[in-house]
Amino acid sequence: MNANAEEMELRERLELMERMISQGRQTTRQWGWTFVLWGVAYFIATAWATWGKSWLAWPVTMTLAAVLTKIIAGRMRRGHPATALGRAIGAVWIAMGSTLMVVLVCLSVAGHYDGNVFVAFVGAMIAAAHGTSAMILRWKAQLWSALVWLAAAIAACFGSDAVVGIAFLGATFLGQIVFGIYVMILESRERNATGAVHA
Amino acid sequence: MPELPELNPVIHGKLRLALLSLLAGVEEAEFTWLRGMTGSTDGNLGAQLMKLEEAGYVAVEKKFVQRKPQSIYRMTNAGREALQEYVSALKQLLGAAI
Repeated sequence: MNANAEEMELRERLELMERMISQGRQTTRQWGWTFVLWGVAYFIATAWATWGKSWLAWPVTMTLAAVLTKIIAGRMRRGHPATALGRAIGAVWIAMGSTLMVVLVCLSVAGHYDGNVFVAFVGAMIAAAHGTSAMILRWKAQLWSALVWLAAAIAACFGSDAVVGIAFLGATFLGQIVFGIYVMILESRERNATGAVHA
Repeated sequence: MPELPELNPVIHGKLRLALLSLLAGVEEAEFTWLRGMTGSTDGNLGAQLMKLEEAGYVAVEKKFVQRKPQSIYRMTNAGREALQEYVSALKQLLGAAI
């Protein structure tokens, strides 16, 4: 083997390593669907609470969404490797969701619950989770989602009931559903881009 | 002139290098995931993983999940060190070739 061919082979090995390490880290589990599912759940709960006038709308819809997420995630987890990065991102969202649930129930029981407080708190918490995840992943698209939710939270601090409603529905649509569909498209492209390696 | 390092032959195989690189990025991985990521056949993948296991670079845990056999592979500390040494040697060789 001449020196040029040998150098090419070594470079090929280096590129193979970089590609495999990067693919191993990126193509972990698929999470885009969770953003869409929770976005749809927010819409259902809002519609139920508005037209059904039932206090059960939010707790029941959110509990169902959490159960559905656990079942689907459990099925999708099979065969996919665990990564420290995946665990870190998952921890951010689980901590955010649990905190949100507990504080909203307490606000409701204490009688301090109203539309402005709800959207300001939910918006701020989701913005923080999106923002943390965006910083860990160094991902601008998710930072935009964080900003959308933060804008809704700020609008809820100053706006009227109508403004609060529009801000929440807008943030749900852009920050959850549109973002989730975008993530699903990226995940599908990544899956198709995996190539074969032979001994 | 300084002596050039030799590349570890266990790691240098293309599929074995791909497997170690994949395992370096995750905590643990199933056989089926490794097969999907490398596009390799069951026989070839099993043989290369066996060589890595014999060298002490990967550890395997076999178990049954819902009555189906499952092999979970993870990189050992020896494997991580060997891969780091391999990368250093590779860089040194490429540096000498330029």
